[in-house]
Amino acid sequence: MQQQGGNPGLPAEFPHSSTSPAQQRPPYTVPGSIPRPGPPSWQGPPPGTQFRPQGVPQPSSGAPPTLANALSNPISPFQSGSYQRPVAGRPPGPPAVFQPSQPSLGAPPPFQPSTFGGSSQADGSWSPVSNPNSASVGFSPKASSTGGSPFSNVSPVPSTFGGSIPPPPTSSSLGSGFPISSAYPASSTPVTSFPRPPQVASGPGARPPFYAPGPYNLPPTGHQFSSAPPQQPPPSSFGPSPPSFGAPPQFGTPTPPQFGGTAPSQGYYSTAPPPPPPITPGIYAGEGQQVGSYGAPPLAGGYGGNLQQPAQGLVEDFQSLSLVPLPGSVESAVDPGMLPRPLDSPDDVKSTGTMNCNPRYLRLSTNAMPNSHSLVARWHLPLGAVVHPLAEAPPGEEVPVVNFVGSSIVRCRRCRAYINPYVMFTDGGRRWRCNVCVLLNEVPIEYFCSLDENGRRRDADERPELSCGSVEFVAQTEYMVRPPMPPVYFFLIDVSISAVKSGMLKVAAETIKATLDKLPGFPRTQIGFLTFDSMLHFYNLKSSLMQPQMMVVADLDDPFLPLPDDLLVNLSESRVVVDALLDSLPSLFEKNISIESALGPALKATFMIMSQLGGKLLVFQSTLPSLGVGRLKLRGDDPRIYGTEKEYLLRGSEEQFYKHMAADFSKYQIGVNIYAFGDRYTDLASLGTLAKYTGGQVCYYPGFQAYLHGEKFSYELARDLSRETAWEAVMRIRCGKGIRFSSFHGHFMLRSSDLMALPAVDCDKAFSMQLTLEDTLLTTNTVYFQVALLYTSSTGERRIRVHTMATPVVSDLGEMYRAADVGAIASIMSRLGVDKSMQSKLEDARQTTQQRLHRSLREYRNMFAVQHRTSNRLLFPESLRLLPLYTLAICKNLALRGGYGDTTPDERSAMGFEIMTMSISRLLKLLYPAFFRIDEFLLQGGKGETDFMMGLPKPVPLASERLDPRGAFLLNDGLRFVLWLGKVLPDEFVKQILGPEFAYSPDLSKVALQEHDSILSKRLVAMLRELRKMNPAVYQQCILLRQGEQPREGNLVLGNLVEDQTGGLSGYADWIVQTYRHISQKAS
Amino acid sequence: MALELVLGIITFLAVAALLGILIYQLMCLSDLEFDYINPFDSASRINKLVVPEIALHVGLSCLYLVFGYWLIFLINVPLIYYHGRLYLEHRHLVDVTEIFNSLNREKMYRLIKLAFYILLFFLAIYRLVAASVHALLDNEHAG
Repeated sequence: MQQQGGNPGLPAEFPHSSTSPAQQRPPYTVPGSIPRPGPPSWQGPPPGTQFRPQGVPQPSSGAPPTLANALSNPISPFQSGSYQRPVAGRPPGPPAVFQPSQPSLGAPPPFQPSTFGGSSQADGSWSPVSNPNSASVGFSPKASSTGGSPFSNVSPVPSTFGGSIPPPPTSSSLGSGFPISSAYPASSTPVTSFPRPPQVASGPGARPPFYAPGPYNLPPTGHQFSSAPPQQPPPSSFGPSPPSFGAPPQFGTPTPPQFGGTAPSQGYYSTAPPPPPPITPGIYAGEGQQVGSYGAPPLAGGYGGNLQQPAQGLVEDFQSLSLVPLPGSVESAVDPGMLPRPLDSPDDVKSTGTMNCNPRYLRLSTNAMPNSHSLVARWHLPLGAVVHPLAEAPPGEEVPVVNFVGSSIVRCRRCRAYINPYVMFTDGGRRWRCNVCVLLNEVPIEYFCSLDENGRRRDADERPELSCGSVEFVAQTEYMVRPPMPPVYFFLIDVSISAVKSGMLKVAAETIKATLDKLPGFPRTQIGFLTFDSMLHFYNLKSSLMQPQMMVVADLDDPFLPLPDDLLVNLSESRVVVDALLDSLPSLFEKNISIESALGPALKATFMIMSQLGGKLLVFQSTLPSLGVGRLKLRGDDPRIYGTEKEYLLRGSEEQFYKHMAADFSKYQIGVNIYAFGDRYTDLASLGTLAKYTGGQVCYYPGFQAYLHGEKFSYELARDLSRETAWEAVMRIRCGKGIRFSSFHGHFMLRSSDLMALPAVDCDKAFSMQLTLEDTLLTTNTVYFQVALLYTSSTGERRIRVHTMATPVVSDLGEMYRAADVGAIASIMSRLGVDKSMQSKLEDARQTTQQRLHRSLREYRNMFAVQHRTSNRLLFPESLRLLPLYTLAICKNLALRGGYGDTTPDERSAMGFEIMTMSISRLLKLLYPAFFRIDEFLLQGGKGETDFMMGLPKPVPLASERLDPRGAFLLNDGLRFVLWLGKVLPDEFVKQILGPEFAYSPDLSKVALQEHDSILSKRLVAMLRELRKMNPAVYQQCILLRQGEQPREGNLVLGNLVEDQTGGLSGYADWIVQTYRHISQKAS
Repeated sequence: MALELVLGIITFLAVAALLGILIYQLMCLSDLEFDYINPFDSASRINKLVVPEIALHVGLSCLYLVFGYWLIFLINVPLIYYHGRLYLEHRHLVDVTEIFNSLNREKMYRLIKLAFYILLFFLAIYRLVAASVHALLDNEHAG
């Protein structure tokens, strides 16, 4: 990994260990990796003609023979202005519309949110009809009565279904939708209402080789757009209401009610068969690829009138939200129903090319690299990558393993990049050109293979490293500075009174014992224990003993090891002793009354034990460290500090000891995971430092009680112990000349300017990094990124996991926006926000995040302001339609929310640590949790326990208007479930779910959800089990909550409803208006 | 007058030592930047010299004060104050865990100090020369 020689990047001073002999690998050869000596029988093409990767679809024009041409091809269409029709970011197939919708949601009685008083009573007048015009009549008066609450016009009743045809109990709602869409002359059948772009029919083969299919291309259907407008009413950003609109539009929506009023309750974009918008001025006036299911050609309204020259490529490819002034007020508003939400478009990013690594491993914030500094300066969003090197792959997609038996791994001489599918072989296969640094390298004689007529190696298909974006090389001895270490697990357990009383010690001991068989790396695995309260207790686990020996050290100032070895032992040899220890631990300290905690000395002692080998240290801490070095003060949460310059100190480590300790741990390959259990302040900000710099994680169980949280803790500990872990790892990301990774965010320590030291890393850790341009102008057409993770697997094999990705370089800002990846951007932005909150006020962190949104959207608007009428419209690229929402959610996230009193400092820190390691998909779930009504869902269907499982209920927007006192709602943010029980939920339902003893209990904070002998309870538990299966990283505990149970309701549910006005930040609709105002002010 | 000469020599040597420390620390930082040493070594080498540097600077300033060079002492007061604040806030040492993120700041901080010490260095040379010339002249007068 390091550039000097073959040093793999381990510190040279690393102590060699005699206890872990290098394991002999069985010779193993990947098929096809046998060298083929001998002169090439066929002289390859002249040096200019190189191989063309097979996976690259042939361009329709004459196939250019060179790779460079092949790679630049996806870009060239933009340069010439002729765009390819994209595959629209979603697989061709029936749009989400055809999913069986939840009929149970379809017909709840109109709900009257208590929070909005009488205004929502207007819902009663809401007579669902299938005719758009009459529906709009019903819509308007109601709208006028709810000026203050833009959401309250949204009825849970999808009128498209509910009124015309009673919703059938199952997926036949599909059929009920058809008559409605047929009411529109524009699309006589639902089928035609989803016209596919012509190229879609030709399949993904039409995609450019390694390019995000969706956002990058402009549709040729622009021709449709241009032909349509003349017949349309004159475009107006104020929304020319159809004559049938009885009242002036109230919500900034000139749209017919099918969108604003009805569809939302079912997921705004897809549930109802989308009737083609008869007039949608400005609302998703672009091609609406993801909004997607709107089939009819978008009409003129949004285009501002001067869009009739598609031939010149002026077709608008942005989307927009119209703002319409409220009558009688200077304020504008936006129709909440039109706001983009990630309700039913899960974050699935398609691979951007056959030879690129899967996006689950590496995602860039934009799949189009800017070629100049000025372009970077105009991009305002983070420019970088999110790397998840060990992401779990679904079965069948595992990373192939390559073993270069008898020869070294082929790497570039200069930049040390690994051989990958994008290298070009020349000179008949005798040389290869590094794609990262364009140096011409010799092909090792044993790696030689002749080229075919396209300049492609004949064995490319048999060699994963030449055909796959992700491979894993088996590293030779030159990648080791010591024999590969065995997996080492060391447990540092607090046994003070609170740990014993809460049951933590018991659960921990039982879980560890149960997981011993699953620890990876049998039979080399090593294990050790140390417990502490006001003294340190060491355990001699020598295999010849029958019972473990406990040794107590009371000297905290200068802790020493009572034994030179046998404190860390081989598990398979000492299994009996370890079992005996774990059995006796809970009873041993049952009567312990010590309230002190000498964590600092315990860490020092542990360091002495572990520094020989490294490994994973699990710290179980239930109180504030109070003795010896590293003791922490009860800093408290002083309200006076908030808002001052010193506020950030609360979120940083107070005691330098932990930073120094973390640096030492990292140096000696020890990864620390912190499990904190305190019911009072435990100063996670300081403790978490240990995990932050050693690639670990922080698990926080506030107010831990075994009967409540035991299951969660047990699952997460077991997962931590049994998941595949990469030991003594280092990671580096290389990229082409001219760009450089400059800042890194996540849990690791930098060992050199771009080398991340990760003592123990696993499949649940992701990292992000930001790019800077070094050259003023990038001249290449393509940039390559290569992530290389060098690690020791649990089986004792040194391995290098390499992910390679190619990305085109562009010179146009619009293309960057089209290729933007909102998931990666949100991930980097949230990490930047958390980082910022460590150095300045929360308010500053939120503002910086918000400013990025404003600046980027302003820049985007300026690109179109000249050509199009943009007044009263918030423009955004299709790819970033969710960016405003995610930005809002980042600002409202627990880590950045509010100030004093909004959450405890520990929970804030824990969330910050969580965000810094989260993968993109989990982060997006956290930012915009799934929220759905489950009472009717559970009641539907037959009598069986699981035959109701027709898929999950449809998520609804995260707004408190959605909460119906007659319903039960589930909030799933990827970390836990919160089950919200309405006030007037039928008693029978509550009794079945909670069991008779808790059915009337006013306080549910101490109640754990258990399976009772009732069909509802069984179904609920089964449903939660299914949901948990989708998210194996954590155990999502189900928290029960009754409506009105303060303050828990505020913290657990209301605070997480990001579309509401909470925590000093506006609601989603207002946020959009604010954003718009900010942008237009500065722009003018 | 001989006293002044002694003082001149002492300050000259002290300032030269300060300069040496600063240059060494800057070298450690740039070595780190170019990946010649690892952050642990770099930070420990730098941190070893932080407190001696502060102490030397404070001692030098006291010397000026004792000998009544008010002006030079006043020039040094801001740096003493800054050092003191860093020390009291425990921020005087380089943080090995964040050394790459603070690399530019640390370098800038040390470059500014370097410029300041060079100024002191010239003053010290001037004083030394002046003192020795005076001493020489006095000797001649005496002789």
